[in-house]
Amino acid sequence: MKIDQTVKRETLRIAAGTLILSTLMVAVFLVLRQFSIKVLLGALWGSFFAVLNFFLLGISVQKAAEKMNGVHLPPQEEDEETGEVKEAPLSPEAQEAKKQMHLSYSLRMLMLFAACVAGVCVPVFHPVAALLPLLFPRLVMMILRPRG
Amino acid sequence: MLELAIGIILGCCALGAGCAMIAGIGPGIGEGNAVAKACEAIGRQPECKGSVTTTMLMGCAVAETTGLYALVIAILLIFVAPNQLVGVLMNVVGK
Repeated sequence: MKIDQTVKRETLRIAAGTLILSTLMVAVFLVLRQFSIKVLLGALWGSFFAVLNFFLLGISVQKAAEKMNGVHLPPQEEDEETGEVKEAPLSPEAQEAKKQMHLSYSLRMLMLFAACVAGVCVPVFHPVAALLPLLFPRLVMMILRPRG
Repeated sequence: MLELAIGIILGCCALGAGCAMIAGIGPGIGEGNAVAKACEAIGRQPECKGSVTTTMLMGCAVAETTGLYALVIAILLIFVAPNQLVGVLMNVVGK
C-alpha cells in the first residue's frame, strides 16, 4: 500500500513538533537539576510511540478513505418544507470504515498501554519523561494549526 | 490495621484507574462516527478527498487525545500512585 502524501506530510510535521517539545521537556529537567540518561531515553521512548500512534492513525484514516474509491453516493435529500437535510442510513462502505476505525483504535490503545507500562516499569526510563511526550501531538496541532 | 489501610489505598487506585478508562470509550465511538461520515462525504464529492482526509486525520487525532489522557492517568494510578501513597502512609505511621 502506498502511503498518502497527506499522511506523510502531517506525520513529519507532528514528528518535528514532538521532537522540539521533547527537547524543551529535557531542558526543563536540566534546569531543575533532575536530568539523567533515563530522562533522555524516556523522552525518546515516549516521542517514538506518540509519532508512531499518529502515523498508524493516518494509515487507518487513509485505508478508510480508500474504501470509497469508485463509490459514488447520491447527494443528500432535503426536506421540501423545512429545507433540512434528511439523515440517510450509512452506506456499507462507510459502516465497514467505521468498524475498521474501532478496531484500529483498540489496537493502538493496546500498543500505547504496553508502551506506557514499559516506560513506567522498566528502570531504564524516567516515568514522567516517558509518559509526557504522548500528549505532545495534541499540543503541536494546537500550535501549528491555522486559526479561523 | 496497616494492612487494611494499604489494601484500601491499592483498591482505590485500581478503582480510580478503571473509572479513568471509561473516558477511553468515547473517543473510539466518536472516531468511528466521524470517519463513517467523512467517507460518505468523499463518496458524494470525490474531488474533496484530499481536504476531507486531512480534516478527518486532524479531527481523529484531537479526539484521541482524551483517550490518551485517560490512559496516562490510569497508568499513573496503577503504577506510580500506590508507591507514593503507601510511602506517605508509612511516614505518617513512622515505619
